[in-house]
Amino acid sequence: MAWQYSDKTKILFMNAVNGNEKSHFGELPDADGVGEHGSIACGDAMRFYFKVKKADNPVDDKIIAAKYSTFGCTSAIASSEALCEIIEKGEYTPIEALKIRNEDIVQFLEGLPSQKIHCSVMGAEALEAAVADWAQKRGVDLEALGVHLQSKEDEGSRLVCTCFNITEAELKRRIVELNLHTIDDVIGALKAGGACGACQHAPGGIQDLLDERWGVQESLPETAEKPKISPFQLSKQIQTVIDEDIRPMLADDNGDVEIVDIKENLVYVELTGACATCPGASGTVQYVIEKKLREKVDDALRVIPV
Amino acid sequence: MTIYLDNNATTRVPREVVEAMTPYFGEIYFNPSSMYESAKQSAGAMEAARGVVASFVGAPKTSEILFTSCATESNSTAIRGAAMANPARRHIITSTVEHPAVLALCEELEREGYEVDRIGVNERGEIDMKAYVKALRPGQTLIVSIMAANNETGVVFPIERLAAIAKATDPRILFHTDATQAAGKLAIDLTHAWKDVDFLSFSGHKIHAPKGIGVLFMRTGAACRPFLYGGHQERGRRGGTENIPYIVGLAKACELSQKRIADGPRIAALRDRLEAGLKKIPYVVINGEGAERLPNTTNAAFHYIEGEGILYQLDLAGICASSGSACTSGSLDPSHVLRAMHVPFTAVHGSIRFSMSEETTEADIDHVIEVMPGIVANLRKLSPYWDNEKQAPRETALIVEKS
Repeated sequence: MAWQYSDKTKILFMNAVNGNEKSHFGELPDADGVGEHGSIACGDAMRFYFKVKKADNPVDDKIIAAKYSTFGCTSAIASSEALCEIIEKGEYTPIEALKIRNEDIVQFLEGLPSQKIHCSVMGAEALEAAVADWAQKRGVDLEALGVHLQSKEDEGSRLVCTCFNITEAELKRRIVELNLHTIDDVIGALKAGGACGACQHAPGGIQDLLDERWGVQESLPETAEKPKISPFQLSKQIQTVIDEDIRPMLADDNGDVEIVDIKENLVYVELTGACATCPGASGTVQYVIEKKLREKVDDALRVIPV
Repeated sequence: MTIYLDNNATTRVPREVVEAMTPYFGEIYFNPSSMYESAKQSAGAMEAARGVVASFVGAPKTSEILFTSCATESNSTAIRGAAMANPARRHIITSTVEHPAVLALCEELEREGYEVDRIGVNERGEIDMKAYVKALRPGQTLIVSIMAANNETGVVFPIERLAAIAKATDPRILFHTDATQAAGKLAIDLTHAWKDVDFLSFSGHKIHAPKGIGVLFMRTGAACRPFLYGGHQERGRRGGTENIPYIVGLAKACELSQKRIADGPRIAALRDRLEAGLKKIPYVVINGEGAERLPNTTNAAFHYIEGEGILYQLDLAGICASSGSACTSGSLDPSHVLRAMHVPFTAVHGSIRFSMSEETTEADIDHVIEVMPGIVANLRKLSPYWDNEKQAPRETALIVEKS
């Protein structure tokens, strides 16, 4: 797809390319935190630097400058600029800065094309690495403060859901962690596959990952409600109810009903006579027959008008 | 002057459609996957077209529309793709009167080990609902593929009911309809009436777009693998660089078609006028009469004569039509559709299909009515089944007819 970048994205990119003084491109030689994310192999890489105003307690250090160098596409560079601007404006402590999510970057950029959302993630990941670096240099025990850095295992993994930017590694991990067995489970838990749906059954898509983990599931009907009596008894009793309770009732209106088939708990009926041509009759009659059959034969029965 | 009454075979591409397409052969030739500003014109035109097509069939989401090369590709993608995505299910339901694009594929799948049930039709060409219900297998049926309207007779099938019954039986049964003949002639609403349809195919060239462009509606969540593997085009569901000029032409044709659907009653009146005229000839039967039919299609059986000879003489009179006769089929088999309707052999071979469009005029129809009695009389004179003195079939013909 051709570019669909917002003006904000284009301006930030052009600032960086033209070496505009507003750009945050460059190095901070005496940085307090340096972090990297991505690699040339995956086509995107970012090095992120920040400098803090040191406080007595390192936890209260405030970020006063941020810079970056980025190997990547237009939106990767614009995302890097966005990250630096958000951080400098917010006057955050490094730990507060961790709260910046890729959604904040996308919002700052006034949107990104769906296939470019992953560019905004890179910034957040590089920031995280820089915070870890700062914590080590300043002797801050992040774990002790209850700050958990995201797992690094998803790095560089193939993107499966481009709408919500969810990678193969993350999906594989979550499928096990959250015990997800169906596409609906995955959509419910992670959103993945829930927008355009194209990745659900694509090669290497969500169903493939589920099958890989749990094996190909035997296809069973979801209506596994089985009647409690034998098929012979069931059809005999259904016929009796139809003949004795339903047909006399329909006959009053010159209508009739015929059983077409019975499959497990499903009773297929065809309305004939006046009922067949009466608009709206099928819904009413279906309800009446179903109610009667459930009451007198088996409460798992469902009626399907033919 | 040519009177074109073969619109179920293909349609004329009007000037507006050609004009809409032209820039995309010339100055706007860019690949929509390319990144530069100019390529936005191609990509933008394609996405706008997708929106038009989505609204043409009432699709809930624009992303559910895939562009293909023809309805045959759409059918193969839906049915084979569903089979690949659901390996545990090995049972397919279709009808005896489908287009070869579905029938031949089902025969191939049968050779590969799938079980196929083909639902028959009655003498009016209407589907046997009871046989359909009996064929459905909860937990086993993979897909139902039943056409929305028949190409030869114009008989319309109750897709809404067929799909609803399939889903009530087992929500994981997929439902496909080949709507190639219905598109542009009947209103299609995949959000409401046809909400249980998972896949829908149609082609551009039956609705006044050029040949070489088709559509597959694929409902979000319907399990289906690609048929053409390749690039990321169509969100990975169909590889291959998109055919931008044809996609744009198709969208234009869809826009114009909306108007044509409203024109249905006028076309149906022309059809009724044609049928009333033809029925004045003795021993003529309208195939599918009495069933719900497309407004534009008449399939008339002229007993005791052969259709190819009728077509030849119609052609001399400047009239284009088609026949279910064996001699016109290439396979030397008479129409499987008419045979499924139990139309006797004495009539199958003499069946002629007239299919109209909104371009058809009353004068066109009157011309057909004028020339047809002479054409039929010429051929009956030569027929061994026709008694020229009595102007009635010979007894031998009646024996054949009953066989």
